[in-house]
Amino acid sequence: MTTISTTRPPARRRAFSVSVLLRQLLLGLMGLVWLVPVYLLLANASKRPEVFGEYSIWQFGDLGGMVSNMADAWGRGRLSLGTLSTALYAITGPALAVIIGAGAGFSIVALRLRNGFFWFVLIFASTIFPLQMILMPLFIGYAQTGLYNSRVGMILVYTVIAVPFSAFVMRNFFSGIAHQVFEAAVMDGASAWRIFWRIYLPMSAPALVAIFILQATFIWNDLLLGLTLSQSETVRPVIAALSALQSTYGGSAMSTVLAGGLLVSLPTVVLFLATQRAFTRGLSLGQF
Amino acid sequence: MTAPAARRAEMLPTSKRRNTFALPSIGFVAPAVLLAGVVLYLPFLYTTYISFTKYNGLGDPQWVGLDNYVRMFSDPGLLNSLLNTLYWVAGTIVLPVGLGLFIAVLSHNLPGATLFRLPFLIPYALSGVAVGVIWSFVLQTDGALSQIVELFGADAPRWLLDAPLNTFVMIVASSWQGAGVNALLFGIGLQSIPKEPIEAAKVDGASGFTMFRTMTWPMLTPLTTVVVGLSIVGSLKTFDIVWGMTKGGPGGVSETLALTMYKETFITNDYGLGAAVAVFLTVVTVLASVLYLRRQLAPERSV
Repeated sequence: MTTISTTRPPARRRAFSVSVLLRQLLLGLMGLVWLVPVYLLLANASKRPEVFGEYSIWQFGDLGGMVSNMADAWGRGRLSLGTLSTALYAITGPALAVIIGAGAGFSIVALRLRNGFFWFVLIFASTIFPLQMILMPLFIGYAQTGLYNSRVGMILVYTVIAVPFSAFVMRNFFSGIAHQVFEAAVMDGASAWRIFWRIYLPMSAPALVAIFILQATFIWNDLLLGLTLSQSETVRPVIAALSALQSTYGGSAMSTVLAGGLLVSLPTVVLFLATQRAFTRGLSLGQF
Repeated sequence: MTAPAARRAEMLPTSKRRNTFALPSIGFVAPAVLLAGVVLYLPFLYTTYISFTKYNGLGDPQWVGLDNYVRMFSDPGLLNSLLNTLYWVAGTIVLPVGLGLFIAVLSHNLPGATLFRLPFLIPYALSGVAVGVIWSFVLQTDGALSQIVELFGADAPRWLLDAPLNTFVMIVASSWQGAGVNALLFGIGLQSIPKEPIEAAKVDGASGFTMFRTMTWPMLTPLTTVVVGLSIVGSLKTFDIVWGMTKGGPGGVSETLALTMYKETFITNDYGLGAAVAVFLTVVTVLASVLYLRRQLAPERSV
């Protein structure tokens, strides 16, 4: 790119930079428009409920107001209990899924499982159909086995939901590791378990982290499974709790609802901003 | 192309050793297969069975053949859900995919591209319900969007109350959330386009839109298929945003099939009808998935 532009006549070069400027301007404007809803969220989550009507929608309240509204959503809005449970689900679920998925990928690629491609497709295909297909039987099965409205039940379903994606990514990732690595370890007398735990897993840390981040975000943001398989404030995931908060509060305590929305979004947004590259890697690993 | 042949040759001597690892190979794959079997495939089969029965969760399901499917395609409310779902599919192909491509092309090789793409990506980290909370506020009576419309002297419509407008504005909200990730995917695709043909076309005098139409776009087609396929599949499952904004109302006019399934099953206790809706959704989803799955599962990938 750069070598070519230096050989260009000056006129062409100026045209090029004008186009860059135009593109930056257009993208910048679009970006600002994109941020308007975020601004409105911040502005209105920061107004104290008692003076909410006195402000224009576009005016910012004050930081103390935002803190007190968040405290309100956390306490009176009952988001606190759900948040702790959801953190447990969003960490345990993907962590287990990543190991289980990596195990499947290891078996298919390194151990050359008989009919490996069939088993791979079988595992992967289970993510194609919509969740709607499994909700009702899970609800009935959970009710019968005592898993309904239990943390164990939620961790189980969130783990299983994340397994196919991690198996898919890890199979692709392991395919990129030369089989000689495996053979050399076998020569040295290492067991399959040891090769998996000590060689393959450490080698694939970037992929594991990428899957973990993506799936943790997905689980944190889940509504449907939480709505269907849990009920009590201590077990119910935080997004389902936010949805309930929105229904019960509504109009008069709008600022509390908005502060609640902001509160439950902070973890995933911060995680995303902090791990943007791993996040992007996860997306591209999953798509191609 | 020599790779598969070489791999096969390399596998021949190991076929004996494969026996050594037969047991561990089953052990390593077993947890994934068992979990998927019990928690995903078994419920899948049960829902399929229930869709041919009359069942309300109590007693035993009664076999009724295709009754639920006939009801599904004759009930006006369900047909309305089907129509809304079609709006969602069409809208999702146009808006988030189109905007995503537009943003990706604009930011490709642009100084500071990461920063410029950031505003579009932040909404992706939000949950559908949070998006619903924000946009319900933006769209409420006398809300931000109404004020902007009234600034131009027009009467603001009742965004979330009138159909099909409420579905359209929810598609906009969903596009606000989803465009960024499509831009990211298209961006990865643009990065992987070989430089030589583009440079050659540049030397031949191609630039701007001509360049995009004749060179970039055709080379991006495989990726576009994946993005469009993913978008269709995602839009068919639309639930969270609608639940967060209208709960399908007022009076069910903004329901999608995913929402109808949930309501029929868990609110009306008509498990059979809910299951039939789920099966129908699954059939359509699988058909749409073929679009991109062939590519995802193909052993040789170029992009």
